[in-house]
Amino acid sequence: MARRPKTRPKLPLPGNNRDAWKDPAQEGNGQVSMREQVKEQTIEAGTGIVGWVDERTGASGFLRGFLFRKVPKGTNWFYTLGSATMFAFLSQAVTGVFLAMYYTPSPTHAYDSVQHITNDVFLGELVRGMHRWGATVMIVLIFLHMGRTFFFGAYKYPRELNWVVGVVLLILTMAMGLTGYLLPFDNRSFWATVVAVNITGTGPILGPYLADFLRAGSEFGGDTLTRFYAIHMLVIPGLIAALIGVHIYLVTKLGTTAPPWLKAELKEPLERERV
Amino acid sequence: MKRAEKAQYLREYQILKEQGKPFFPYAVLKDSVMACIVLAVIIGMAVVLGAGELQNKADPTTTTYTPRPEWYFYFLFELLRVIKPPELVILATVGIPTLLMVGVALLPFYDRGPERRPERRPIATTLGVAAIAMMAWLTYLGAHAEAPDKVHMNVPAAVQKGEVVVNQSGCGACHKFGEAGNHGPGPELSHIGARLGPDGIARTLRNPAGVMPNYSALPPEKFDALVNYLASLR
Amino acid sequence: MANEGAEKPGSGGNGSPPPNGDGRPSSEPFAPQTMKMAGSYEGETMTRRALFSGGAMAAGGIAGAAIILPAIGFALGPVFEQKEATWKDVGAPGDFRADGYLPRTITLTENVGDAGLTTVYLRRGNPVAFPRERRDEFIAISTRCAHAGCPVRWVNAARRFVCPCHGGVYDFEGKVVGGPPVRPLDRFVTRVRNGQVQVGPRYSVNSQLERFSPRDPGEPLDGLWQYLYPKRVSTPDFN
Repeated sequence: MARRPKTRPKLPLPGNNRDAWKDPAQEGNGQVSMREQVKEQTIEAGTGIVGWVDERTGASGFLRGFLFRKVPKGTNWFYTLGSATMFAFLSQAVTGVFLAMYYTPSPTHAYDSVQHITNDVFLGELVRGMHRWGATVMIVLIFLHMGRTFFFGAYKYPRELNWVVGVVLLILTMAMGLTGYLLPFDNRSFWATVVAVNITGTGPILGPYLADFLRAGSEFGGDTLTRFYAIHMLVIPGLIAALIGVHIYLVTKLGTTAPPWLKAELKEPLERERV
Repeated sequence: MKRAEKAQYLREYQILKEQGKPFFPYAVLKDSVMACIVLAVIIGMAVVLGAGELQNKADPTTTTYTPRPEWYFYFLFELLRVIKPPELVILATVGIPTLLMVGVALLPFYDRGPERRPERRPIATTLGVAAIAMMAWLTYLGAHAEAPDKVHMNVPAAVQKGEVVVNQSGCGACHKFGEAGNHGPGPELSHIGARLGPDGIARTLRNPAGVMPNYSALPPEKFDALVNYLASLR
Repeated sequence: MANEGAEKPGSGGNGSPPPNGDGRPSSEPFAPQTMKMAGSYEGETMTRRALFSGGAMAAGGIAGAAIILPAIGFALGPVFEQKEATWKDVGAPGDFRADGYLPRTITLTENVGDAGLTTVYLRRGNPVAFPRERRDEFIAISTRCAHAGCPVRWVNAARRFVCPCHGGVYDFEGKVVGGPPVRPLDRFVTRVRNGQVQVGPRYSVNSQLERFSPRDPGEPLDGLWQYLYPKRVSTPDFN
C-alpha cells in the first residue's frame, strides 16, 4: 500500500521531525527501518493468531453480531442498570472466592476465621467490606433495574419470559443475602437467620419440612451453617450464573426496548453518529 | 395484545432499531462507565464504612439481645410487627410475601395491553408507585423500631432514674414510648404526663386494668422514680 | 445401479427384497426407503430406532437417578431422622421456687460448641395457683418465642416474658397476653434423678396448655390449626 507522499521538504530542526517519526522511511535512507519492520510483523502475527482462533471456533461471526448489533434510538443511561447489576454480581463472586479461601464454615471456628480475615489477612478488611456493601449495592441496583423495566413497559410482548427470568433472579439474590448473612456467625447473623428459617416453617403442611430441610433438623445446629454455606457458595451462584446467561441471551436476541415515549417515524433521516 | 397490536409493535421496534447506534462502542461505553461508578461506590463504602463491626459470637442463650434482620428485609420485619392478631400471622409470614412474588412474576400475563408509556398506563403506574411507597415506608418504620427495653425520651435530668426503672420493668413490652416499645396491648405513653397527674399514674400502677401487671411490689424509691418519670412525659 | 451395501434399498426391478430384520416383504411401510423421520439415515429400520431410543432414555434415566437420588436423600436425611432424647442436669430441687423463674443453660445440640446451647427458665410447680401442677413437679419454659423464634426474657418486675422483636408478651404460665405470638411458650419435659432436676425433650402447648409434639414458632395449635402443621419425625419423643 503506497504511503501518502510528503512533498514539502522539512528543515532538520527539532520540532520539524514529527513526520519522520510517523514515517521513518522518510529519514532518507530509502530502506524500511527496523521499527517499521517490527511493527508490520507484529500486526501480521496478531492477525494470524486471531485468524487461527477464528478458523477453529467461528467466533468472529458471533462476536460481530453481538458487538455491533444496533440498540434502538433513545437508549439512555437508565439502560445501564442491568449490566451494572451483573457487574455488582461479578464483584461479589470475586470477593466471595477470596473470602472462601480463608473462611471456615464450622460453628465453632466461623467467627474466628472472619476475625482472622478482618484483622490479619492482607486487604482482608477491604475485601470483606466490599463483599458486604456489594450485597447492598446489588440489591439496590436490582430493584432500580426492575423499576426501570416496569415503568418502561419492557416486560410486555415479546419479552415476557425475560421478565419471569428476572424475577427469579431477584428472588435468588435475596436468598443469597439471607444465606450469606449467617456465615460470620455473630449474634446478629445467628438470630436473623433463626427468625428467617422459622418464618419458612409457617407455610401450611410443607412449611415444617422445609424449615427442617434448611436447618438440617428440628433445632438449629452445626449442620445448619454448613448447609447454608453450600447453598450460598455453590447452589445459588450456579443458578444465578445460568439464569444470567439466559437473561442476556434473551436481551441480545430480542433487543432492548426503546424508551416508550419515542415514536417510530420512517420519514426522519438517520441521525448523524455522535460519540 | 391482539395479533395486530403485536405486529404493529414489531414494526415500530424495527424502525427504531434501525435508527439506533451499534452496541459497541456506544452502549458499551455507558455500561463501562456505570461499572466503574458501581465499583467506586462499593470500594468507597468499604473504605469509609468499614467491614462492619462483628458483634459478639453467636449466643443462643442470650436473654438481652434484640435481633434485627438486614436492612432490605426491614419491610417484612415491620409487617410482622404490624400484624398482631395470631390468626393473621401466617398472612404476614408467608401470605403477603408469596402473593407479592407471584404477582410480580406473572405481571406480563395479566397486563397485556400494548401501551408502554407510563403516563398512559394509569393502573400500572399507580400500583407501581404505591408498592414502592409502601415498601419504603415499612422499611423506614422497621429501621426505627427500637427494642422494648431501650426506652429513651427527652426528660429533665432529675427524673432520668425513672427511665432505668422503665427499662427494667418491661413497660415497653406493651406500651409505646416515642420510637421504642410496642404498640399494644397498652396505650402509648409518650405524653401520658399531660393526661394523668402523678396520683393518677400511681393509682394505675397499683390497680391496673386488663392484662397489665401490678407494680405495688416495687421498692418505694423505684416506684416514686417511675411515677415522676412518667408524669414528666408531656 | 449396483447394490453398495447389504441394506441399500432396491428400486423397482431389483431381484431380492431388502433385508429389514423381521422378514417382512419390502412393500411394508417399515422398509428403509420410506422412513422420513428427522435424523434418520439410509437403511435404518423402525424397530432398530425404537430400540435405541428406548435404550438411550432408560440408560440415561438410570444414570441420572443414580446421581440425583443419593444426593437428594443426603440432603433430606435430617428431615426424617429422629433425634434421641437426652436429659440434662440443671440443678438441685431446692434451688427452684414456685413464685419466680431462674434461667439455666442447657445443651440442645451436641458437638457444635456454643451454638448448640439454649436458655431455659425453671420454676417449681404451684398447685395452689395452677391446680394441674404438683409441688414436686418442675416447669421448664423455653426462651424461644412462639411467633418467630426470637429470645424472650423474663422481666421479674412485670411478671411477664417479653420478646424484643415484634411485640410478643407472655404471662407467668407462658400464655400469650399481647402481641402476635400464636401459642404459649414451649416447655421441656422435666424429671428428678439422683437428686438433680433434669430437663428433657421439648414439647409445644396450645392455648389450653395441652401437650403437643414440638412445633416450629409461628404454627398455632388450637382447633384445626394442628392439622395444618403436622407432627414431624425429626423431633425426639417427649412421652
